[in-house]
Parts: sequence; C-alpha cells; structure tokens
Amino acid sequence: MKKSLLLSLACGAVLAIAGCSKSHNDDTQTNDATLEGKVIVDFANVLANPNYADLQAKASTLKDAVNTLVATPNAANLLAAQTAWKNTRVPWEQCEGFLFGPVEDFDYDPIMDTWPVDKNELDAILASSNPLGVSDVDALQQSQKGFHAIEYIIFGPGGTQKADNITAREKTYLTSLAQSLYNTTVQLKNSWDPSSGNFTKQVTSAGSGSTTFATRKDLFIALVGSMADICGEVSSSKMEVPFAAKDSTLDESSFSHNSVADFKNNITGILNAYMCTYNGAGGTGLNQLVASKNASLDAKLQSQMKAAIAAFSTITVTYERAIYEQPTQVKAVQASINTLQATLEGDLTNFVNTNIKD
Amino acid sequence: MIVLVQCQKSSVFPDEQYDDRLSGGVETVFDATSKAFSNMFTELGVYDEHVHSLGDDVFSRTFVSAPAPINSGLGALYNNVSCISCHHNDGIGLPTVGELQSSMLVRISLPGTDANGGPVAVPGYGLQLQDKAVFGKMPECKVNITYTYQAGTLDDGTSYILRAPSYTLTNLYTPINGNYMLSPRLAPPMIGLGLLEAIPESQIVAGADPNDANGDGIKGHANYVWDAITKSKQLGRFGWKANTASIITQVASAFNQDMGLTTSILPVENSFGQSQNDGLKDDPEIADTLLNAVKFYAQTLRVPARRNTTDATVKRGEQLFALGKCVNCHKQTFTTGVDVSRKYMSNQVIHPYTDMLLHDMGPGLADNRTDYLAGGQEWRTAPLWGLGLFEIINNPGYYLHDGRARTLTEAIMWHGGEAEASKAYFSHLSTSDRNAMLKFLKSL
Repeated sequence: MKKSLLLSLACGAVLAIAGCSKSHNDDTQTNDATLEGKVIVDFANVLANPNYADLQAKASTLKDAVNTLVATPNAANLLAAQTAWKNTRVPWEQCEGFLFGPVEDFDYDPIMDTWPVDKNELDAILASSNPLGVSDVDALQQSQKGFHAIEYIIFGPGGTQKADNITAREKTYLTSLAQSLYNTTVQLKNSWDPSSGNFTKQVTSAGSGSTTFATRKDLFIALVGSMADICGEVSSSKMEVPFAAKDSTLDESSFSHNSVADFKNNITGILNAYMCTYNGAGGTGLNQLVASKNASLDAKLQSQMKAAIAAFSTITVTYERAIYEQPTQVKAVQASINTLQATLEGDLTNFVNTNIKD
Repeated sequence: MIVLVQCQKSSVFPDEQYDDRLSGGVETVFDATSKAFSNMFTELGVYDEHVHSLGDDVFSRTFVSAPAPINSGLGALYNNVSCISCHHNDGIGLPTVGELQSSMLVRISLPGTDANGGPVAVPGYGLQLQDKAVFGKMPECKVNITYTYQAGTLDDGTSYILRAPSYTLTNLYTPINGNYMLSPRLAPPMIGLGLLEAIPESQIVAGADPNDANGDGIKGHANYVWDAITKSKQLGRFGWKANTASIITQVASAFNQDMGLTTSILPVENSFGQSQNDGLKDDPEIADTLLNAVKFYAQTLRVPARRNTTDATVKRGEQLFALGKCVNCHKQTFTTGVDVSRKYMSNQVIHPYTDMLLHDMGPGLADNRTDYLAGGQEWRTAPLWGLGLFEIINNPGYYLHDGRARTLTEAIMWHGGEAEASKAYFSHLSTSDRNAMLKFLKSL
C-alpha cells in the first residue's frame, strides 16, 4: 500500500523549531486543540459509526433479498437481490475512504471484498457435494466469498443471470454467502461501537491515552493517508489494470457492471471524510480545520474532490465498454483523481505535519 | 529548513548529519500510524515510482487457481493467496498456520547437507510445507502448534509467562521416511530491505568474531548460501537464519514456495513430482516485469523515524541497552555503500540495530535445523528498526521468529546462548531502569 511524499525532513524541521517559534500564543493553541478534538469526535460519531451501521443495515436487506430469491426464484426477486447488492456496495465503497482501524486490523476488507473471485474454485465447489453452511463458507479462501462471489451468482457473467438458472447448490451457497457477509458487517460495526469493541475510543482519545494514536497528529496522518491511498487504488489499480490491458474481464465489478458507481463512491468517501458528512448529517470536518488556517488549500481540496466525482458523469457506458469506447474520458477521470491524490499527499499532509502540534 | 538554520545551533545536526531519529537515513519517514511501513522511497523519479507502484499492486493482488484471466497461477499447493495477507500492512502478521489470516510457514528438511551445503529436501515435500491446496488437491499436511507455559520472575518481583511452542504434523498426504526437522518462520517486516541489501559485505563481515577473539562472549559469523541467480555461494542477508542472499531471490522463492507461483528464476512448481501438481504448461506464471517490480517495491519501503529520542527516560534506556551489551549484536549503525545510480540508497547512515550475523541463541529458541552455515541454535540478529510500531501495525504485535513472544519483555527473556548475559542484565534491572529500556525499544 503506497504512501508517498510524506515530507520527512520538513516534518523534522518543524519539530525542531517548535521550541523557538513563538507565533502561536496559548489561546490559539487551545482553540486549535478544541477544533481538532471536535473534528476527531465528529469523524467517529457523525461519519464512521453511522457509515458502518448503514453498511450493516444494507447487508441485512441484501441477506433478506437473497433469502426471498432462494425461496421464490423469479425475475422480480432476482432484480431485488441485485438492487440490494448494489445498495450495499454504496456504504462499503464510501467507507473505503477511511480504511484504517479494525477494517484492516482484522482483515474485514479482504474477507468481504476480495477481487478477483476464483471461478475455478467456485465452480468446483458447486459441482462437489461439500457442505456449504455458513461456517463452511467462512472457512473458504477470500477469493471464494464476499461481495464478488455473491455478485458472480446473482448477476452471472456479463450480468446475464436468470432466476430460473440458479441451481440448488448455488442457492445454498448464495444463502450462506449473504449470511457470512452480513455477519462480517456486524463484526465491523461492533468493532467501532462504544458498547462493543469501541475502536471509537481509540480515535477520540488520540493523543490522550489512545494506544493506536499516540498523538492527534498520528490520527490525522492516518486519515489523510487513507484518503490518498484510495485515490491510488481507484486510479492506478482498479481503473488502470483493465484499461492498460484493454481487457474488460479484469474489471472488478464486471458481473454487475457496477464499477463506475464503485469508483465514484470511493471518491465520495474521501469527500465524506474531509467534510465529515454522511447520509445528509454533517459535523465539524477536517475542512474547517484546514479553512481556519489556509482557506485557499481548503478551496483547492473541495474543488478537486468535487471535480473528481463529477468527472465520472462523462463516462456514459459501463466501465467494461468505456475502456474501449471512451478512453479519453477514462484518462480524464484518472487525471483528476491523480491530481487530488497529489494534493492529499503533498499539501494536506504537509498541513497536518505543520499545524497539528500533538 | 531555512527557518531551522536561523534558530537552531548547528550542533543539533552535526556535520556528519548524524540524527538518531533517522533510522533509514534520507529514506526515513515520520509516520507512526498503522501504515508506517508502507511508505515509498522519495526521490525515486517518475519511472521508478511507477515500478514501485506496480510492485505495490502485485504485492496486494489475490492470486487464484489457474487458468484464470487475472492473477492466475495460485497453487496447486500454497501457504497463502497474496503477499499482503502474510505481510499485513507490510509488517509481520499472526503467528498461526493454516488459517486465512495466518502469517507463518514451516520449513522442513532431513539431516545432513545437500550438494550446495544447504538443507536436504524431504522427498515428496521439498524444503517447505504447503498446508493449503486448490480444490480437489491434498494439502501436504496440517501443522499443529501447542504451547506450554513457563512462569518466571524478574529480580524486582515482576512475573512474566513465556509460551513455548511445539510443532507437530498431522494429515500427511504421504508418509515421511526418516527423522525430519521443522523450522517455523513468521513473515518479517518489509521496511528498509533495500538499505540492508546496500550494506557492503565487507562491513558485515568485519563484525564477525567467530572465535570470540575479543572475549565478550559473543561470536557472530556470516552465513554463506547458495544463490539461485548467481549460481554461487553468496553472503546470506535475509530470512530469520540469513539463508537468502538477495531480495530478488527472496521474492522469487516466496512466490514459488508460499503461493505456488513460478518465475523465470524458479520456474518449477513447488509441487513438481508430487501428486498435487497441476501439469499445466503455464510457467512462468509471474512475468519478469512483475517479479522485478515486487523486488523493487521490497527494496524501496522507507523506515519509520524513531520517536521521543530526546526524552530523558528513552536516553537512559538507550544507555542501558548499550551497558547490557545488547548493542554487541543489535548493532546500531551501518553506512550503505556508494551507488551512483541510486543516490537515495547511497552512502546512507542507517540504524537497523542488527549486525546481520548469526548467533547462538541457546536451546530455548533453537529450531535444531541447520540452514547452510546457520546451526540449529543460531539465528540472524533481527533488525529492531520499526519494533516500537509492531503493536500499531499488527495490533497486537508478536515477536521472534515464530511470534511466540507477545511482549518485548517476553522476547528478551527468550534470549539465551550468546545473549545469556544480556538477558540476565535485563532481568536484574530495577523497575525504573527496565521500563526505561523498554521505552527505548518502543522508540525504535
């Protein structure tokens, strides 16, 4: 996982001059700390916890829709399951805008969202008589479960699946896959929940007792780093690999043709993390911290995030077709994401290193 | 930096640019988050950044069974499905085997040495156990770990519990004839490998003292190992027993042995000659471009800076670390060789806290399996840079070659052999001094 351009020596210099710099009086530092604390608390309470709760709720709906489809396989129920799958992708892809903490510590990300699926293995398991209960599915390799294994069954290659074509074995597998995915979203939500795993406390106590974030700066570096990482993941990996190979089968959500929405939701997740907004609720965001000291940087970041999100509207066909038919638009979207990534890794990281004192 | 010059005395950054925070020289990063081991070298240039990013991408890829349009070639026998699934956050991982999140593998061999002086492969198994297989194939075995717990007490009355692992094999797909030896190996952290590779061989060998001529009770010596690329014996630098000469060989053998992916360097499947072999004519499964990109990725990950280096307690701990002769093996400083084509690795003062040599660590840690010149009780001094971040990067952290130690105190109390006196020194320390030494280690 790449992170570049953290200006180490610049940061070291800042630390070294802190003792002789008198530009901040005590009141300013108190105000800074108060605002930083508010941003941290709101990040946990307004964005992270609600985002994970939303993911769990959507995964619950998906599980129910899958059960309905399995009980009554028809076109309407298949469509409902497909829609529920796409709806579950939204909070998931958005929470990838801040991919740190339990989601990576406990591998919830690869457990739910490994790409590619191992089609040889899936087909072999389906053709076998191996048990396919939830615990059996939990024990499978990550490339044989999660979002994309579900997608493989309910959409089929090229999105051509028909309800009548879903076999009995596929139904059993699908039911367990959806339950397994739901169980993981519960674990993820609980890992942050103050009444359970309470990673929230690790975040909100950054710099004052947190064992994960010894300083508030560490938390902001983690947040900004994860925002930058997902830019790289979308532009340099998810979009670039199928584009460079001119091979649509290399595209991540190719069964559902949901790739462009996935990419866009990743970048929306960055905007959410920066502005501290989720599903219409808003809190005190990193944007206010930046604006309080560097209004032009805040304006630049907001404009680059919105430009990157808006750029996706120029891709008017599925990503599988866009790599052949709309290469100019694809390259333009990548360029706008790369620009954002450079600002996050450069200006915003420097801002954090310079302005967040402890 | 201009501001710095105005208000700081030059003595803070002396002429030789010595600054003990800068563990990786110019390629040090000020990052203490869970991503602290994942930072790309700066000053690479556009093309090299591209290669690093490609390597990063491959390092993260989940491989699948062949044939497949993307990431094809996993298995038929393997330990894990991607580099990142063992090297969690480019760090170490969980000291379990056979589970999805496991980061440990087990080497196996018969007594004696092979034609190149290395360990003797076990017929039907090779030199590494693959405990996973693609659908329809038998994994070679299941590895079982059981721990026995040994309580101990430090001089100030603080108690600790060491867990001693034992490893047994069940579900063997075919019997093993003869007495075999096992050696578990936890995935090591990825930071600073290029810098360790850039240390001149002469500097490493100069630290060797195989006959203890200086009488300090410590006898380091180098490993010399067969290298698959040069087809000759080379200084071993990497791996828990320094049994690999270069990063490219390490990467190729990890692809081959850990994931069942063939390369031009090791083009034969790890299951060749065994009943699990897939028989496909798809080798090498990893193109040289990708192999070299992963090698470059592994060479160009920055080392996190030390924290709290001016803290009085940390300073005290650093003194005690020296007084306890810990530094006699965990050597603080090397200078990398001059490399005009890669200035970012050239002539850098680095602080890896290893002498890159093999030492007898006593019977407690022994795997009793020789690996070239590394005896059954010998291990390469583990680099300590980044040590203080293991808990954050891996949450929780585990230490030593098989992750048996759950705290730094446990890790130290496992030391024996040449480190017996240093261990005793640590256990005799007062509470405050011991905490100071631990705080120093946490600053690394």
